[in-house]
Amino acid sequence: MNPQLEKIWMKVQKPGRYTGGELNSVIKNKEEVDIRFAFCFPDTYEVGMSHLGMKILYGVLNDMEGVWCERVFAPWIDMEEELRSAGIDLYALESGDSLSLFDIIGFTLQYELSYTNVLNMLELAGIPLLCSERKGLEHLVVAGGPCACNPEPLADFVDLFFLGEGEEVDCELIELYREYKKKKGRKEDFLREAAKIPGVYVPSLYHVSYQEDGTIQAIEPEQGVPSKITKRVMMDLDSIYFPDRFVVPYLDIVHNRAVAEVLRGCIRGCRFCQAGFIYRPFREKSVSTIDKQCRDLCENTGYDEISLSSLSTSDHRNLNPLLDQLLTWTKDEKIGVSLPSLRVDNFSTDMMSKIKTVRRSGLTFAPEAGTQRLRNVINKNVTEEQLMKTVETAFRGGWNSVKLYFMIGLPTETMEDIEGIAELGQKVVDAFYTNPDKPKGKGVSVTVSASGFVPKPFTPFQWEPQDTVEMFREKQKHLVNCVKSRKLSCNYHEAVVSFLEGVFARGDRRLGKVLLEAHRLGCRFDGWNDCFSYTKWMQAFENCGVDPAFYANRRRSFDEILPWDHLDYGVTKEFLIRECKKAYANETSPNCAESCSACGAACFKGGICVEDRKNLV
Amino acid sequence: MKTVRIWFKKTGAARFISHLDLNRCMARAVHMAKIPLWYTQGFNPHAFITFALPLSLGMTGERESMDMKIDETKITNEEILFRLNKALPGDLRVFAVTEPKLKPGKIAFASYTLCMEPETGSVCQLRKEWEQFLSQEKIITEKKSKSGMLTIDIKPDIRDMQIREENGKLVSDCILPAGSEYNVNPSLLVEAFRKETDQDFYCEYIRHGLYDASMRNFE
Repeated sequence: MNPQLEKIWMKVQKPGRYTGGELNSVIKNKEEVDIRFAFCFPDTYEVGMSHLGMKILYGVLNDMEGVWCERVFAPWIDMEEELRSAGIDLYALESGDSLSLFDIIGFTLQYELSYTNVLNMLELAGIPLLCSERKGLEHLVVAGGPCACNPEPLADFVDLFFLGEGEEVDCELIELYREYKKKKGRKEDFLREAAKIPGVYVPSLYHVSYQEDGTIQAIEPEQGVPSKITKRVMMDLDSIYFPDRFVVPYLDIVHNRAVAEVLRGCIRGCRFCQAGFIYRPFREKSVSTIDKQCRDLCENTGYDEISLSSLSTSDHRNLNPLLDQLLTWTKDEKIGVSLPSLRVDNFSTDMMSKIKTVRRSGLTFAPEAGTQRLRNVINKNVTEEQLMKTVETAFRGGWNSVKLYFMIGLPTETMEDIEGIAELGQKVVDAFYTNPDKPKGKGVSVTVSASGFVPKPFTPFQWEPQDTVEMFREKQKHLVNCVKSRKLSCNYHEAVVSFLEGVFARGDRRLGKVLLEAHRLGCRFDGWNDCFSYTKWMQAFENCGVDPAFYANRRRSFDEILPWDHLDYGVTKEFLIRECKKAYANETSPNCAESCSACGAACFKGGICVEDRKNLV
Repeated sequence: MKTVRIWFKKTGAARFISHLDLNRCMARAVHMAKIPLWYTQGFNPHAFITFALPLSLGMTGERESMDMKIDETKITNEEILFRLNKALPGDLRVFAVTEPKLKPGKIAFASYTLCMEPETGSVCQLRKEWEQFLSQEKIITEKKSKSGMLTIDIKPDIRDMQIREENGKLVSDCILPAGSEYNVNPSLLVEAFRKETDQDFYCEYIRHGLYDASMRNFE
């Protein structure tokens, strides 16, 4: 490491973010390495280190002969200042080498508001931001993650995107890169070849033209390049790579525990939820695989807590046998098991007694909408009755703190639905006091948390206008006014943040210049309240002559060409239109375990799409 | 059940972890190494791990220690050393496991090396000013305490100061009061000096050993 760095570490908050040297971090001999890959997470160390996808790919890539994958995180404001004033490049934690010494610079895109950090991190290593300014094969900038399903706002900066799950496609790309590096090939030729790898999207090989009203006229691939890029999916979760160790941070991070992945995809099909569609089909890991992976992780990290992670862990059909299996050894080794999320409709005290963290932190449920009508619209198949039954069970079990998550600004929403949020919260409060077995001398605390709805690509609501900032604020105000009890507290997200998220979620390539301008104006860490500046962002839109409302607040017609129409995540547009129309009719759809709605994900020929449903319900 | 004292070095990246994080890190290592810890017998059993004297963030520790209660019938001291080193990151190294002789409460002094590296000016000049600074009758500095900021004279606390130049650095060895009763962090001295001198310098701290009131080695 650069000895200058030590002096800087002494001056910044939480230097443990920047030192590296953690248990299980991978150090390789540079002599034996021909491809250096920088895995960049465009947020702080504490956030990035909590991310399971990064841990998986770190392991996959470092298992490759001759490849050294290192970690890079966005330095916090104080560290950035010190780096800039000392003239030191942003560096990778393993070697301490500048990002500019790497062959491939890979970003994971977890949320839209991290985009300015992508640009800032490149700049902090003196790497040209625009693809067109990076002429050679070195500094190939690649990206993956959920936001890659509409990567268009980043098309000017990222040479290629990985669609879907990265375990295989990342390796295939690296092998191709190695070949071109060896023969000193040209970047243009490499990209053309890379575009042929299934799941690799090279935006520069697709030309977008626009109509007079600003909508897209056509997305045209260059010759010899596939017209549709289909995401990659790993079908057999029991045979795919999973790390047997994590890098164990010195610092306390957001999720400081062993994480086992129990399933991918989700059967639910909630119409607002992008993850519920882009990760289809639903696939499970077997109990024995999960058990083994949990043991290995605990053995190699020393963690005393395992989290069973997925989009909806309680939908694993063998969750109870899994918990029993884990309890056979975790108890003796003083290891706790926790679930990250709970569903209202399958909560039981029996299951809760096997789980650790829930008791500590109170219970969190997500009804998402305040009235049954609106819950039907969004296909959140949870009834008030189920919720009340669940909280009554919880109250009887001794819990006295419940948090309820809602969204505001959902399609077809009226003020009545907003009132319904407060009413539902109040009913939960009342349920506590009517419970004859309520714990003596204890009050109840119910929190309703309302976030602004952001319509996302590849969901049935991808055509919907987002509420304007004013509408959000009016609804937030109304919600606060509807809360009558002091036992019920209410919080909501900044409307302007949801708005910016809405712009970029469904943005197109013309937002590239806005990003660049926002970056120039000093925007970064937009997901952090202490950094986000709405004024600077509005300035950036104005300077570029781009109207953000065009992206956030405009209703698209079903036949409009959307910026992500050339990307294929399995679910078909026809299905999404069907679901959207059902939403307008207040009709729900069954979940994948009940019956198939023909979403299109069956094209991947696996998971729940090919299984016998009779055994599932 | 017996108490063992684990001796370790805290160097490199590990210098930059706080005492709280060190605590967590050690707890994980002990868990991973499957050390047969003795747990409190109460309603909510927890392990007994205590550190002799916390080390400030950024300092190198050459001879740090922590005590834990173990079931000695199940493991030897050599085995503890071996297993812990396998479970710890490279910059935390255990070099001995012994039976504790002194209680941590008896600690009264610590020995330090301060390496000052001038960013402007010369080592020679820095040395002159440093020696001058140390030769004052009083060295008044502010120290945080439970009852707010205290203004104290730390001149009488400095013992066995030895100064030399080494590889462009000004190296000073000294002994300062340490422990739970009265502790003088060497950075108090260095920061007081920084206010007096025009020279800009970077200072690295190393803590070597701990002693009781009669300067017996803390063992």
